[in-house]
Amino acid sequence: MSTIDVPPPRKLEIVEQSGNEMVVSIGPQHPSTHGVLQVITQIEGEVISRASPEIGYLHTGIEKSAENLFWTQASTVIERMDYLSPLSNALCYFLAVERLLGVTDRIPPRAQQIRVLMAELHRIASHCVWLGTHGIDVGALSVFFYCFDLREDILDLTEAAGGARMHPNYLRLGGVNGDLPEGYLARLDALIEKFPGRMADLRRLLQKNPIFQDRTVDIGVLSLEDALAWGATGPVLRASGMAYDVRKAFPYCGYEQYEFDVPTRTEGDAYARFLVRLDEMEESMRIIRQVRKQLDTPGPVMIDDPKIAPPPKETIAVSMEALIHHFKIVSEGVRVPPGDVYQSVEGPRGELGYYIVSNGDNKPWRVRTRPPSMYHTQLLKTLTIGELIADMVVIIGSLDPVFGEVDR
Amino acid sequence: MPSPQTPPIGSTALDPTAVRPPIDDAIIERVEPSELRARLIALKREGFTMLLDIGGVDYLERKPRFDVVYHLLKLPPRVSSVAEIGRPERRRLLCGVPGEDARVPSVADLWPSADWAEREVYDLFGIVFEGHPDLRRIQMPADWEGHPLRKDYPLRGPARERTPRPVFANKSNVRAGTPPSGRTAAALQRQIALARGQVPPVQGEAK
Repeated sequence: MSTIDVPPPRKLEIVEQSGNEMVVSIGPQHPSTHGVLQVITQIEGEVISRASPEIGYLHTGIEKSAENLFWTQASTVIERMDYLSPLSNALCYFLAVERLLGVTDRIPPRAQQIRVLMAELHRIASHCVWLGTHGIDVGALSVFFYCFDLREDILDLTEAAGGARMHPNYLRLGGVNGDLPEGYLARLDALIEKFPGRMADLRRLLQKNPIFQDRTVDIGVLSLEDALAWGATGPVLRASGMAYDVRKAFPYCGYEQYEFDVPTRTEGDAYARFLVRLDEMEESMRIIRQVRKQLDTPGPVMIDDPKIAPPPKETIAVSMEALIHHFKIVSEGVRVPPGDVYQSVEGPRGELGYYIVSNGDNKPWRVRTRPPSMYHTQLLKTLTIGELIADMVVIIGSLDPVFGEVDR
Repeated sequence: MPSPQTPPIGSTALDPTAVRPPIDDAIIERVEPSELRARLIALKREGFTMLLDIGGVDYLERKPRFDVVYHLLKLPPRVSSVAEIGRPERRRLLCGVPGEDARVPSVADLWPSADWAEREVYDLFGIVFEGHPDLRRIQMPADWEGHPLRKDYPLRGPARERTPRPVFANKSNVRAGTPPSGRTAAALQRQIALARGQVPPVQGEAK
């Protein structure tokens, strides 16, 4: 009988210990680490003198898996990276592949509008989870229920459009998988109607709450210089004063036609990041309202190119060509011309980028994700120095990392 | 001004000097590992304040085998509005690294964001970043063998090959336990032949 080699336990590089210092390992099973993050913390009394985040506990080899799937299949694993806003990952990936194919301009406008709608809905849903869990971290439990109620509505809308709540794989190469179902827009209208009141509730619960302000104001201050050097993007960078938003700087999916502001603050503390994200949710809803008006006009939702998108199911029974195209795409996949491309989108956490290399085959040669959360988690090394150990969870919460994306 | 280049593509024709018009927003440069640090320092002085990402690509049959890819972004170093930022310049540096003795200089001292990014490339590709303050594995366990994102690393990992056969398989006249990798099929055939008595056992070989 052969036996399985049991590897020796993972060695942790504990920092040197002396005098009044103590080393505490926070996580990886700690509920406030929002996943499986371990922070080996050196403390003097209650003050953190050194913090060393350890990641990799959720590593699932998604990049390797994607290399071994067809271009169209890879999105199923890619959606699972950032599981709080799966559609931003799929969106970025498909935008990159469409650039390689050179079909970016041929995506039908209605498909673009639905993509924008989904991206913004998922931004709100993702911020809802962040706000709810951030609230729990500082002891404000009721916020969680208000947030998850709002998120439920968005997940219901996702389910109505794509068939699943979390990972619908609704976005496809060349468009989206089917038009919005009947009655969808009415439900969307109901959400648009409900949103301002719910936002006001959330603001009333936390924004001027003295306990919440005590816990977040001047905690985890990130200077603009540090934010740039450490590669912070998204709300974390904008809370430090830089109005960099991929939607404005490198518009995609027709974002240039929508009116929205990029909320910024200059304080750079946990409270500023909280305010920026709240404002962002409202800006997202502003975009959704504009998209909603466009969605009244019907139109195709998939590119008209049988080499990229399978023909509609109805045509398969009557057209030999359609049947062949369908069979080719399903059994062999799409072939993408050789080249490399970097495409980024503004995900809920920041600049989400994909660097994709194709060798002309039906599978990607390399799919590299630029995960915003990983760079934000790395910030813990500098942000926590000199803070109280109790504020560690506030800082982690204010950075909003998703470990599916950090570890991939 | 360096000309835009693409990394060599095509599983059969891997050509490191293929030139094509860029299809994204970045200006692409190719640098040698020896010039990499000087070039990145110069770019940082030019105002590329942010190192967005470092990634690796394994081209397997190409020479040099690996590419280390640096994504840079030129954001102003002060508080700026959307209009002031405009359309910031993107730059992509491709650095070819040979397969044997893969080494590049570290830039973790220029941009702290490079710290984990370089550790990840080291972990998954086995490319050593010289001068990195703390170069150890980041995603895989510290005692892991091999570098999973290399193209010659099996998809399911070597651990699968060591997994013992399930109990019901013991009913067969083949000994339990998959033989060590590398001689799987042949060894199995031999075991079967041995068990059936079709070949005489060599001295010391289990029946």
